[in-house]
Amino acid sequence: MLDIRRISTSRWWHKKKTWTLFSIFLFLIFVRISKGSIYKDFYYFISKPFWPGQFQKEIILKSSDQESLIKLNLLKKDNARLREILNLQESSNSEYISAAVISRKTGSWWRQIILNKGSNDGVQVGSVVMGPGGLLGRVKSTSFFTSSVILLTSPESKVGVWLDRIQLNGLLIGTGDDNPDLILYSKDADIKVGDFVSSSPASTLLPSNIPIGIVQSINESLKAEKTAKILLLAKPHVIDWVQILKVKI
Amino acid sequence: MNKFFTNKLSIICFIFIPIIFLWHPNWLGMLGIQPYWPLFWLLPWSMINGSINGLIFGLFLGLILDSVSIDSSFTQIPGLILCGIWFGRIKIHSDILIGHFRYGLVCSLGCFLCGFLHFVQILVQNFLGSTFLLLIPSIKNIIAEVFLTGLLAPLVCSQLLRLFKSCRGKSRIINYAKK
Repeated sequence: MLDIRRISTSRWWHKKKTWTLFSIFLFLIFVRISKGSIYKDFYYFISKPFWPGQFQKEIILKSSDQESLIKLNLLKKDNARLREILNLQESSNSEYISAAVISRKTGSWWRQIILNKGSNDGVQVGSVVMGPGGLLGRVKSTSFFTSSVILLTSPESKVGVWLDRIQLNGLLIGTGDDNPDLILYSKDADIKVGDFVSSSPASTLLPSNIPIGIVQSINESLKAEKTAKILLLAKPHVIDWVQILKVKI
Repeated sequence: MNKFFTNKLSIICFIFIPIIFLWHPNWLGMLGIQPYWPLFWLLPWSMINGSINGLIFGLFLGLILDSVSIDSSFTQIPGLILCGIWFGRIKIHSDILIGHFRYGLVCSLGCFLCGFLHFVQILVQNFLGSTFLLLIPSIKNIIAEVFLTGLLAPLVCSQLLRLFKSCRGKSRIINYAKK
């Protein structure tokens, strides 16, 4: 009797290609779970010769002087108003980590920058990232050598802001373009073009009084809220050096 | 060593896609938007290896690109899988000139599909929020991306296709000689 049997080598688990594809798939799942940290660290090493030069630091120092003046005035006002409620800590240079921008996505679906300082340098998820002019965004994820920052312009970004002139809190929402939207949950808010916007003292994500931007245009809608376009002071598409602020709010 | 690189050139190119994606060279962009890089590799790969390989490597590309981008409001996997399957069904045209323009057209359509899927995902995620705010930037993104991808595709895809085909041919000859 003729015994017809399947040749064992034809089974799928005996094929080398299947196992290769399966191992690649497992590796990619690992990469996905680790949020691409292997790739980002690899990119850190190969992009090292092309990092921005030291002269950028001088530009940053000049801009940060101007920024400090605005900040100082705001802090004085804030101190008087909220002395009993908030315990404002003195800032010192030891709280900052200087980092270079090694990857930049500022004009597409993805609004993120990657910095050359990671968990190895003490950067933590949630740290505030500032550039010359003011706030840029927050650290969303870190690898050993790099950290990924979600910009204020990203549709994922939502931060509480403070309008100093009218003494009102609002919400700054990224819309995927260069000018995020400010939403004020008050129809009668006396907002004007040119009003200064800073981080809210009530925010749980950011330290208070970090300069963010100025009101560029106001949208009058029939809803119970008022929206406005904000021109950011810090320009993520040109900044090569940033400062990561280690915060304990 | 040389033989290894000849055999695995397409895979080596695959590894470098996320690097270009992260690099995001501004001088190649328009309105701050870049061409959709993964399609340049996926089109020649799928045309040579077929729909199933296109699907698998579309999934792999999506996984790796989602890992390096922190935006969790949408995934690139569905668009790349669909493009992989579609590209696998396209045959190589005998006329070189028509072939070149066809790469541009196919990549533009693939890019539009991926962009449209990104947009739909963002809309669904922000369904209860202020979706109208996202509409204009998304349309701008799609148009610029489609244009740039279509512009560069004939140049990049035809070179990669030629490279992958020659590598495949060489590896076949080597395997045949071994047998």
